[in-house]
Amino acid sequence: MEVNAQTEIIVAEGVSKTYSDHGVPVSAVKEIDLTIRTEDFAAIVGPSGSGKTTFLNIISGLDTVTEGKVWLNGKLLSEMSGRELSDFRRDNIGFIFQAYNLIPVLSVEENIEYIMLLQGVPKSERHSKVNKILAELGLSGFENRMPTQLSGGQQQRVAVARAMVSNPSIILADEPTANLDSKTGAELLDLMRELNKTSGMTFVFSTHDPMVMERAHRLVTLKDGQVVSDEIRE
Amino acid sequence: MRTFMKLAWRNLFRNKRRTLIAGTAIGIGLAALIFVDALILGMEENMVQSATSSFLGEGQIHRDGFRDTQEVEKTINDLEGTVAGLEQEEIVKRFTLRTLSFGIITSPANINSITLVGVNPETEKWLSEIDDAIREGSYFEEHTGQAIVIGSELAEILEVELGDRIVITVARAESGDLSQEMFRISGIYSFGIREMDTGLAFVSLDKAQEMLGIGSGVHEIAIKFTDPEYGRDETHPFWKKYSRNGNEAIGWTTLLPQLEAAFELSQFGIFITAIILFGVVALGIINTLFMSLHERMFEFGVLRAVGTRPGRMFQLILFEAAALAVLSIALGVILGFGITLASNISGIDYRGIEFAGVTFKELLHPVLTLKQFIVYPIALFLFTSFVAIYPAWYAARLAPAAVIRKSL
Ligand SMILES: Nc1ncnc2c1ncn2[C@@H]1O[C@H](COP(=O)(O)OP(=O)(O)OP(=O)(O)O)[C@@H](O)[C@H]1O
Ligand SMILES: [Mg+2]
Repeated sequence: MEVNAQTEIIVAEGVSKTYSDHGVPVSAVKEIDLTIRTEDFAAIVGPSGSGKTTFLNIISGLDTVTEGKVWLNGKLLSEMSGRELSDFRRDNIGFIFQAYNLIPVLSVEENIEYIMLLQGVPKSERHSKVNKILAELGLSGFENRMPTQLSGGQQQRVAVARAMVSNPSIILADEPTANLDSKTGAELLDLMRELNKTSGMTFVFSTHDPMVMERAHRLVTLKDGQVVSDEIRE
Repeated sequence: MRTFMKLAWRNLFRNKRRTLIAGTAIGIGLAALIFVDALILGMEENMVQSATSSFLGEGQIHRDGFRDTQEVEKTINDLEGTVAGLEQEEIVKRFTLRTLSFGIITSPANINSITLVGVNPETEKWLSEIDDAIREGSYFEEHTGQAIVIGSELAEILEVELGDRIVITVARAESGDLSQEMFRISGIYSFGIREMDTGLAFVSLDKAQEMLGIGSGVHEIAIKFTDPEYGRDETHPFWKKYSRNGNEAIGWTTLLPQLEAAFELSQFGIFITAIILFGVVALGIINTLFMSLHERMFEFGVLRAVGTRPGRMFQLILFEAAALAVLSIALGVILGFGITLASNISGIDYRGIEFAGVTFKELLHPVLTLKQFIVYPIALFLFTSFVAIYPAWYAARLAPAAVIRKSL
């Protein structure tokens, strides 16, 4: 299969995942073919248990496929070792989880610069990048706060900052607004959409929330582990 | 690297109470090990001191075979040369010459067998503590040849008092003829050690030599070194040098084999204490690490997701164990030093208690050594890091997707 790494950030081909639940096989994802393109702002939606989390984990290399192939930036994930996958995630993917994204013993600034530390980015560069992103996300002045001293919405914004700061090619978010009230959730989504527009960053997120779906520019619907619709909206 | 050390150190203080409990437990263990080691060293010093200073000396020279048979004829060969040599030895602080012979002591009321010791009072007082143990009378103050000093229990058996007369009978050298002499009790001592208080009688060296018919010969030279450790060091050239001309020179470890055996037992005790301590440490560390690991599953998943390599996770847990070890060791060293120093200054009272044939006569002072504060902490640190390998390995191979899913 030919992958155009310029425009096709993620290509999933015939991806299936079967878990074993006490010996009983559970088919979480079935033969999904899906391509995520540069600058997508895509929502993966579907009822609980439809396979959203499983699919996101697979395309980010956190989980393995039972069948099928996944290319990320033109690289086949199944060919990478554990260590290579770690480095690949570090350099190519930003993650935002539903909650508890931040390391509680690190300050806001330390959380945001963590990935750059792993990458060996020099201190002055880290510092200026952290300051820049904090300003962009309206978090200036919070750099020395500990995560517990932030509201849920602020924590999620810091998580966005951490995901973005090292300029990955894609940001994956599994229900990023699930722990926020709808107003804060909407604000976070608007912020992400804004970043998607201004910096051309690609976003893929899963959600249950109609308010979030409304803001997505592409809507991929899963049901029983399969894609039942994939619509682009303007 | 620095990042992970910082993370580890901060993680340690996330659950302060748990860290403090684990750290204190390990610290107390280390302090106990330090204290036990110091106590045993102090006990050894005390026992050696008690055993050697009352009469034995830290080393002795005899004619070969004298110790087995106590034959009167077996006087030290080349006495002049030996004495001249000892006077030149740097490591020899004092020495004294003695005769030793079986004898019978007779009073009007009773009769008892004794070892008659002929001593030179001037030099003897540095080697034995008879002069300090005198309860009545004096230690050869009037220099009459008929003076005899005996133990308090022997005086009771014989029903005699200071100034009373007694008769000593010994066998002369070569002929075996009996030789009898009347003495006046000029001093009575009490060591608190039965054998010494009933079994010895002291007369002047010249008198004993005359009774035994051995001219100016002696049976024993008792030696005190500048450091008692020389008496323990069997490889020191001193022993070879004086084990010549048919003589043998031996240290107190040979004279008192039961002491050395007791010390070996003590070392075994320290070993067992160490094993128990290290077992407690192993369980404490593994338990603490796993408890904190299970609380932080999601966090570990996040760390892995954002690109932390498995090896780094391994490192993080090792650092956390090391941080816990450092904290515990700091606590243990402070505690151990405090307790040991305090007991060293005040002393522990075991006086009158007998162990391995030696009675403690002085307060016991635990001995602080550098080893206790270097070897034990380093061993504990290394051991802790070793034990942490399992939890670290466990953390390194957590599957990020699984732990994130499980903990949400
Ligand atoms: N480790 C696992 N072992 C067994 N079954 C699993 C495992 N992980 C997921 N599943 C099953 O796979 C299916 C898909 O789960 P998944 O979490 O991907 O759904 P989801 O769409 O994210 O649901 P939700 O909206 O509730 O988060 C479910 O039926 C789930 O029970
Ligand atoms: Mg899910």
